[in-house]
Amino acid sequence: MAASDSLGQFEQLVLTAILALREEAYGVTIHSKVQELAGPKAVSLGAVYVTLDRLEDKGLIASWLSDPTPERGGRAKRYYRLEALGERALQESAATAKRIWDVITEVWGKQWARQWGKRWRKEAG
Amino acid sequence: MSSRPPRIAEVTVALLLPPACREEVLGDLQERCKSPMQYVADALSTVPFVVISRIRRTADPQVLLIQASVLYLSFIAAAWLRDPTLLGQRRGLLRLAIPVVMAIAGLILDDAYAKPGPRPAITPARGPLLGLLVALVSQEALWMKKPDWALPHWVAIYGCVIGLLLSSGIRMLFPPISSQLLGIKVPVAWLQQAGASSESLSRLNRILKPVAGVVALAAAVAWAAENSISPRHLVLILLAVLLIAGEVSRRV
Repeated sequence: MAASDSLGQFEQLVLTAILALREEAYGVTIHSKVQELAGPKAVSLGAVYVTLDRLEDKGLIASWLSDPTPERGGRAKRYYRLEALGERALQESAATAKRIWDVITEVWGKQWARQWGKRWRKEAG
Repeated sequence: MSSRPPRIAEVTVALLLPPACREEVLGDLQERCKSPMQYVADALSTVPFVVISRIRRTADPQVLLIQASVLYLSFIAAAWLRDPTLLGQRRGLLRLAIPVVMAIAGLILDDAYAKPGPRPAITPARGPLLGLLVALVSQEALWMKKPDWALPHWVAIYGCVIGLLLSSGIRMLFPPISSQLLGIKVPVAWLQQAGASSESLSRLNRILKPVAGVVALAAAVAWAAENSISPRHLVLILLAVLLIAGEVSRRV
């Protein structure tokens, strides 16, 4: 992936949501997952659609329409899945995040990292 | 617990959403619906994003720039033919740009709201028709509210006719993005094209229709010029012709 195509934070969240949801990744579930991953910040469904379109244009994800379902008034769902390019982009993002984390713990110390670890475990319940 | 969205809100949202993403967005909004108010709030925060995203996906800035230049040149040519003093007036060139901006807005919306899948052969004329219809309506509104900013009737009409011909040609050379072969859709598009090859005769028919529409438009202008029809009446006749042609192209 070219440097100009590097992922933004919200794109990383959406890709992670699609990865986590596997076969069940469509608008509503992706939005819920992104909301969960983004923490206290509110995320609009519209912003998720815009990002999904952009990721599809970049070739990082692919989409297809399912058969209509009665619980949605007979309307189809658009499912999404990660493409090979998307998986690679997410791996690169995760590696970058890991490098950032390593530097932070090195500079701010292990004590700080433990405190943050505790806080995250608490938030995750 | 989910509830059914209000019918009127659902119909309004369906009308505002581009057809390419209408199905899944309406379904998602319905699945999330817990109360009528929540549905409306959800729709208000979703529909603008979806429309903007669709415009971003379907608008090609380079081709739009070519279209804008061609349309602007059309109106300059029309002014040169019918009222050369306009070109030398203060704000003259700015006045000529107003219908161009309106026509480009119409073109962008036509692309964004086009139905997905292969487009009929009449498509090259449909976008410019809609765009120039918007331009004529905006000129009519300016004539009523701010006549200083409106173009003389004949300049607007000539500009629209020249612009329609040239802009349709540009659309044939550079089809809208949604009609081109893109990424993962390529194999499907090839299959669709292969399946459509046997319909070449009906496609020829569809190509002849816009040509006939343009000839009818030119004939109407020529007839009006011969019989000294007042510009205001001619605008109404042209608007009717454009509306009928637009409706026919939509249904083909």
